[in-house]
Amino acid sequence: METDLRVEGGSMIRVAVLAVGEMPAAQLRDYVSMLVQHTRISLASVNPYYTEHQKSPFALQPWESGSLLLKFLVGGAAKSPWEDFQAQRKILGVIGLCHCPLSPDLGSAYEQFLSMCRAYPSAQVTRCFAFHPTQAQMRQDDEKKKEFLVMFPSTDRQNLEFHMQTLMRDFAASLLMAFESWVLHLKPAGLTTPLDSQTSLNSDEVNKKRKLGRVQKTIGDYCLLACSPSDANAHYATAIELARLTADLLWHAGAIEGHVCALVLEPSGMKDELLEQEVQFLYMEAIQLYRRATALSFELESTLKLARFLCSRKELARDVVDLVVGAVEGSKTLMDANDRLVVNVEAAGIFGALGYERKAAFYARQVALLYKQQNSHWAAVSSLQVMSVCAHYYRCEMKSSNSLVDGQDKQGGEWSTLQMDVLMDMLAAAVRAGDAMAAWSAAAQLLRHHYPLITPHSQLGLANALSMAAHRLPSGTRSSYAVLPFVRLHSYPPMPAEREIVKRTTDKEWWMGPASSGPFIYTPFIAKGDSNEKLPVIWVVGEPVEVLVELANPCAFEVFVESISLSVEHGHFDAFTVSVTLPPSAGQLLSLSGMPLSVGTLMIRGCIVKCFGMITEHLFEDVVEGKMVKGTVLVDPFKSWHRVHHAALSNKVEVVQPLPLLVARVVGGEGAAVLYEGEIREVQISLSNAGVVPVVEAHLALTGKQQQNVVSIGHSILEDALPLLPGATIVVPVVLKAGSPTPEPDLRVNTVKPSNDVASPMLVIHYAGPLSQEGEEVSPGRRVALPLQLHVQRGLCLVQARLLSMEVAANISSAIVEPICSKDAAAENGESLVKMDPYRGSWGLRLLELELWNTTDVLFEITVSRKDGSESEKLAEDGECLYPRTRIERDYSACVLIQLERFKLAGLDKASLARASVRKDALSKQYAMSKDVADREAKAELNSAIEELSSRICVKWHSGRNSAGVLPIKDALREALQASALKILLPDPLTFGFRLVKTSATQNSTCEDTSPESYPNPHRVGLSKVEAEEDSAVTKSKGGGGIAVRELALIEMLVRNNTSEAMKMTLSVTCRDVAGTSCLGAIGSKPTVLWAGTLDGMEVEVGAVGEVVHRFALCFLVPGQYTLLGAAVIQSQTSHDSLCYNGPPFAVLVAGAS
Amino acid sequence: MASTACFVIVSRNDCPIYESEVGTAPKKDEAAHLHQFILHASLDIVQDVVWTTNAMYLKLVDKFNDLLVSVYVTADTHTRLMLLHDSRNEDGIKNFFQEVHELYIKMLLNPLYVPGSRITSPFFDTRVRTLARKYL
Repeated sequence: METDLRVEGGSMIRVAVLAVGEMPAAQLRDYVSMLVQHTRISLASVNPYYTEHQKSPFALQPWESGSLLLKFLVGGAAKSPWEDFQAQRKILGVIGLCHCPLSPDLGSAYEQFLSMCRAYPSAQVTRCFAFHPTQAQMRQDDEKKKEFLVMFPSTDRQNLEFHMQTLMRDFAASLLMAFESWVLHLKPAGLTTPLDSQTSLNSDEVNKKRKLGRVQKTIGDYCLLACSPSDANAHYATAIELARLTADLLWHAGAIEGHVCALVLEPSGMKDELLEQEVQFLYMEAIQLYRRATALSFELESTLKLARFLCSRKELARDVVDLVVGAVEGSKTLMDANDRLVVNVEAAGIFGALGYERKAAFYARQVALLYKQQNSHWAAVSSLQVMSVCAHYYRCEMKSSNSLVDGQDKQGGEWSTLQMDVLMDMLAAAVRAGDAMAAWSAAAQLLRHHYPLITPHSQLGLANALSMAAHRLPSGTRSSYAVLPFVRLHSYPPMPAEREIVKRTTDKEWWMGPASSGPFIYTPFIAKGDSNEKLPVIWVVGEPVEVLVELANPCAFEVFVESISLSVEHGHFDAFTVSVTLPPSAGQLLSLSGMPLSVGTLMIRGCIVKCFGMITEHLFEDVVEGKMVKGTVLVDPFKSWHRVHHAALSNKVEVVQPLPLLVARVVGGEGAAVLYEGEIREVQISLSNAGVVPVVEAHLALTGKQQQNVVSIGHSILEDALPLLPGATIVVPVVLKAGSPTPEPDLRVNTVKPSNDVASPMLVIHYAGPLSQEGEEVSPGRRVALPLQLHVQRGLCLVQARLLSMEVAANISSAIVEPICSKDAAAENGESLVKMDPYRGSWGLRLLELELWNTTDVLFEITVSRKDGSESEKLAEDGECLYPRTRIERDYSACVLIQLERFKLAGLDKASLARASVRKDALSKQYAMSKDVADREAKAELNSAIEELSSRICVKWHSGRNSAGVLPIKDALREALQASALKILLPDPLTFGFRLVKTSATQNSTCEDTSPESYPNPHRVGLSKVEAEEDSAVTKSKGGGGIAVRELALIEMLVRNNTSEAMKMTLSVTCRDVAGTSCLGAIGSKPTVLWAGTLDGMEVEVGAVGEVVHRFALCFLVPGQYTLLGAAVIQSQTSHDSLCYNGPPFAVLVAGAS
Repeated sequence: MASTACFVIVSRNDCPIYESEVGTAPKKDEAAHLHQFILHASLDIVQDVVWTTNAMYLKLVDKFNDLLVSVYVTADTHTRLMLLHDSRNEDGIKNFFQEVHELYIKMLLNPLYVPGSRITSPFFDTRVRTLARKYL
């Protein structure tokens, strides 16, 4: 059987094309391509070369419209036993092709050609075309006569083609003339077929008629070949008649076939439908005849011819399918495997022509399987070729390069079972054919696209097949089929903090970012962070970049990726390779780096992967398109990974001109400054330009937490240094002030890098190179962030702060000095450390005690000062000099006393005064003003005073040579003051006072000696000092308070009720000497003081805000200092408890008799 | 008598969503997927035949050697129920198709089933096999 079966096949003239001499394949292909342009040569063009030697048997030849059809059989063909039966099966012409440069001896080449021609006895015309002859060969040609040798001059291809055209016309004309002569000299004797063995049984007459019929049929065949269908029809009609008469079934059928061929070729005006019906009818008859003649292959051939003829009409598809399916079924009984193959090939071809791709693919696969059954290398190669053709129809190819096919793929289904089967067959065929590349591709596709359906064992087998195939290929071979691992783009990690790129606009302050577009300060859409995704990725020429890709190995074996690097489209890119091993069924996030080398837009297409010995390109888009659909099973090789929003990731990257690169660093220290609480220190920050472009703009800013720790930044130094040329360095000072101590870092968690510490303030420097020329896009700026790492250690700590009131006993005198006077006096003689009036006690004197503890291992020196205030700068300076430094050794604590009077606490003074006046008013006007209001007012005043006080007190410290600071004790101070001030400042319910009553004294003022501040206080700090000074004060005093010894002194005790209700109480007076023993009460002992009046158990009732005066007289027998103390026991009416109050001590100085 | 039967449901985008060998003949290795190949190839013919009739049951549409292909097309989504068989039991096949179609509709009613995706329900599989035993 033959391939390419067509109804019109009867008109094809077969010409064998043979290579003569040495012929490289490329040359042969080139020459053949020239030759095959001339498969159809019109009779009109043949005419000039045609000479009619005798009367032509083809009387009705259409010289105007007809053409000769040539069928070139490159390499020739074997002789068919059916040549006599069908003339078109004969090789009627031979063309030899000779490449002269490789066949120097043209003579021997020609000899070779002649010998080759001898294999084709049926050849009527032979030619040997010699291309590109040398001069010597052309001369050699002259010497000897070589009839059929044609030399082509060495010219360009166009000329060659022209020569070829001429020669082919001549060749066709020769063929035509040969046919004529052959028909004219045809002898009926030799026309036999292999089926004719039993013809001898028939009678002679029948034989004769048969021979006649056969001759007629053969003449008809030649008429067809000579393109004269009308002549052919006439001969076929006779032949059919004779064959029917003689029951020559085979020849009858052959004649009918020839007749159909002539009908189809004849340009008679038969309508298509009629012609089809005619053809169908005639062919059915022919098929029946062949069947009766038991010529199965002819039966199948004609069936297929008919099917091929009908498949041009879509309506008849059903008939065609029936015909083809019948033919294929019939081919089962064919003896020759090749014939079976041919039937399948034809079936595939017909279905393909019909548009039934899947059917075609099915039969193509059958062909491949038939090839596979033939146990030879060539069969395996053919099988592989056919398989790869039909693999296309089973959508096995997943190459994204041919996007057209991909587009269909979305529509067309993928029947993964079949795809796998086809690929497996391809792999087997490729292994058998020794095509390592094809084997690799098939195995690669199987693994990549069908891994979920392949058992782990088979996966391992495929991996081995891959390695084996790669082993046979030269190393570094590239393949278009990606295997493992699956690669997808994960993200573009931001530039490292020191090289961060910021979009720069033409605005002056581009680092501020775009202004808010809406009326709202806070826009939730911005806060959501999706603006982050839209940021274009910008890379800088010559700076290394990084891309994160996800690798996944879903298979059950370990994948060793020899090298993987980024693959980039448009633009130069230096990709760095890495190698990685992926464990079974695992994924990995891999950082791939590279360096862009040119400005422009880069497209990160995928990765170049060398795996299983082959270099392949893995495109991101192959995987990114969601999950891969495999036979409608959703399979995601990255299933073990979290979902990443890929839509936002574009693989386009902008590469910009080189930018300046500032390197910021803290001079000295390793990035972290260890400070004590409250320490002030200047840090030097060095900025150097490591880029190749000068820094033209720069801006320093602070971000992050604890910005209050930075006191000042040397903005001006940086601005003065601009432009900062490449390689230049400047140093910018930054003054830091340590705030509260940072918590100790947890040493167990050692993974967090210190630079990521968000607690420290960040010094952010925005900078940019020169603006580009007009019209160009503004080159982006950069940002470098330098964390100013502060580690604040606890330095001195305030243990407690207390407000103390000095308690010094007041001298008893007949008169009392008004507070204002005392204050004036204090202001006048301001040199002494403590101001006090001996007749008033410690009125108005308060001390602030700070107890500080040194927890560190260094020595601290403390200086207390007042912060610069507008009012009393001078006093502040005084304070500096007045209070000497206090040294606190390590692990020691010390108390620092601060005299509050020095601080001119006007608020506090005023508050107390106000209170005093209120009280006075209350005394005089009796409830003129409500006490509550006064209290509230006083409290507010007190609070503001404390606030002011605490903010003014400044405790500076020095430690070592260069660390100094201020203790941040404001809050602690305020709390302490509030706690103790309330205790001090709140009035007691009772006020005691003593005064001498002298006959000379006319003054009758009330004893208003005390302000509430001087009421008892448990602390008696500094008492001795005060007493020491008292003496001098006494000697100087001219207030007349002296009491002579042995003289009866009349003393009044004033007890005032400060509360708003009447009280019953029992008063008593005690007198103590210097030693503290009571001078009065000791009965039986020798008294040193005699008294008159009651001193004990005086029951009085004092009204609300009332006053009682109790008089008594004392006679001191011994000179010295005595102390008078009043006491009251208040009887509560409701409960029978009694409250005891002690008044403050009053000093009585008893002078000697002298 | 051992019979060969291969039943496949093909979704509208030509993907098989259900496939099972429901025949009683022992499975041969060399023709591992031959049945599916035949069914796949006959899709071409089915897409032509669909336009020639109103019926959902397309009867015999294709054959390969002694294996016959009968097809039933659902009205909704052009889902094709394809049966490869070697016995000429047209009534049984028709009934089989109708029952399986009902099953398939029940499947579609399942809100968790995405039309066009692979049918993985073991219940469906069991029922189809039962029907095959009953009718084929």
